[in-house]
Amino acid sequence: MNPSSTSQRGSTPFKSVTLLDLRESVRARWFLVYLLIFGGAVVVLISLGITESRVMGFTGLTRLLITYFQLCIAILPIFILITTVRTVVGERESNVLEYLLSMPIPLGAYYWGKLTARFLVVFLPVFGALALSITWGTLQNLTIPWQAVSYYTLMLATLAWCFLGFGMFLSTLVRKQEWAMGLAFLSWLLLLLFLDAILIGVMLQHKLQEEVIIGITLLNPLQVFRTGAMLLFDPELTILGPASYVILDFFGKQGYLTFCIGYPMLLGWVFSLLGFRLFKKGDLV
Amino acid sequence: MIQLFQVSKSFQRQQVLDRLDLQVKDGDRIALIGQNGAGKTTLIRSLLGQYEHQGKLRVLERDPRSERVEVLQHVGFVPQHPPPLQMNAGELVAFADSLSEKPLSQKVFELSQELELDLHEHSSKPFFKLSGGMKQKLLIALTLSKEPDLLIMDEPAANLDPSGRKAFFHQLSRLPESTTMLLSSHRVDELLSLVNRVVEMDCGSIVLDEPLNEGISQGRLMGCELTLHEVNNSIRKVLESWQFRNGAEPGRYHGEIVEEDRTRFISAISHFSHHIRGLQLGNS
Repeated sequence: MNPSSTSQRGSTPFKSVTLLDLRESVRARWFLVYLLIFGGAVVVLISLGITESRVMGFTGLTRLLITYFQLCIAILPIFILITTVRTVVGERESNVLEYLLSMPIPLGAYYWGKLTARFLVVFLPVFGALALSITWGTLQNLTIPWQAVSYYTLMLATLAWCFLGFGMFLSTLVRKQEWAMGLAFLSWLLLLLFLDAILIGVMLQHKLQEEVIIGITLLNPLQVFRTGAMLLFDPELTILGPASYVILDFFGKQGYLTFCIGYPMLLGWVFSLLGFRLFKKGDLV
Repeated sequence: MIQLFQVSKSFQRQQVLDRLDLQVKDGDRIALIGQNGAGKTTLIRSLLGQYEHQGKLRVLERDPRSERVEVLQHVGFVPQHPPPLQMNAGELVAFADSLSEKPLSQKVFELSQELELDLHEHSSKPFFKLSGGMKQKLLIALTLSKEPDLLIMDEPAANLDPSGRKAFFHQLSRLPESTTMLLSSHRVDELLSLVNRVVEMDCGSIVLDEPLNEGISQGRLMGCELTLHEVNNSIRKVLESWQFRNGAEPGRYHGEIVEEDRTRFISAISHFSHHIRGLQLGNS
């Protein structure tokens, strides 16, 4: 190796940390699994002939996109949480942080560099999968639902950012990796439960007003993504039943689509900023 | 270089540093000694701005916490245990180089070579897959290549083989006199030729802080007589390396040592303390 062959002189600490974490993530085993699951899902869906099937009037590339998006909503958050919650706490436990922070790296460059790298690593394969499905659709002369594709791309980026922010927050909150993993799993389970089981139970008991129940539902980012995805192809939200009146009366279609991007994005920022605050405060290692 | 005024640190009500006062001048070379749990690593981490603490702490006239980056530009650190970094050795060099004000890469390769680590051969290997000694050598080369004003090393030679230790101590001895060193080690004897001050910690307090050669006349010889219960090859070799001679009586050795070497000599024979029956040390 030539001493200057990998030189990054002149790059900012933020860029150095981002590039380093990108390289490490790409080499990690979890990334290979991630790539196989989310990249492979599109290939599997195409090879299963899902574009030929029709469910609730959806067919072609739209059908594929809806299925892929539902799949992403179900497993992307837990995948992101599991791989992100160990970032800071894991490096603390293994003394990696002690060594890295003995170098002149600004704390902001370390934290936001890691977060940026993780965002790229998580989002780019999903984006690649969407691009693959569009390329395939174009080759098959299928109609490309560009509006839906753009919105889904934005929504997946938002979903990734939201759960990355939450994962980094948990990673700075606790001092043991086991705790971080436990909290991540519990949070995901809670969000899933509020998606259906608990909420339906509450509704059945009629203990709360409909608006309050729907309000609680809309605080759940998983539900927000789910409903946003539905709204794009079902402008009346007929699948949701009476809840659709409350949502559409309050937000309107465009308003709700904006909320579906804005709210999780805000959550991602709030949690990542809280995480950064926790990281800076107190002992660093 | 370093000023500590009443610095305290506790973890969950356990006092780890207890109102430490310490002044370190530019060019001081300190052996920081003490048992496990004495507070050495906590002190080092506080100096690196990694721990919050009570009291006042200044490194290079700055607060290492609020002015971390400015302070760390002038500080080199080698940890006790090499961290399991995922990046490969070449990436680590490039990463450290990108953060440094001056180019490091060429110097790291040269210093690694001196430590008998062929970085050209190992640069594409993940750092965590290198042997313990290789990791330590690379971290040492990275730190020394920075030519820091303050060098902090926590048990730096623990994983090194004898030839690596020799090369490492030689590298340390070549550093400019203005370099301040804080070397934490259990084996104080091997640091004695490099340091001019010993600070001993126990239970979070400084229990000893002494310049090594205070009150010692340069070059004055001291006579020494050593009586042993039993003579084995190891102790004989040590004594012969100090040019000690066996007297008429078996087990009785005598020789002369330069006064500056007194601590180093006592430290060298301390490993055989259970064989020593008597020791006389006085003016020649």
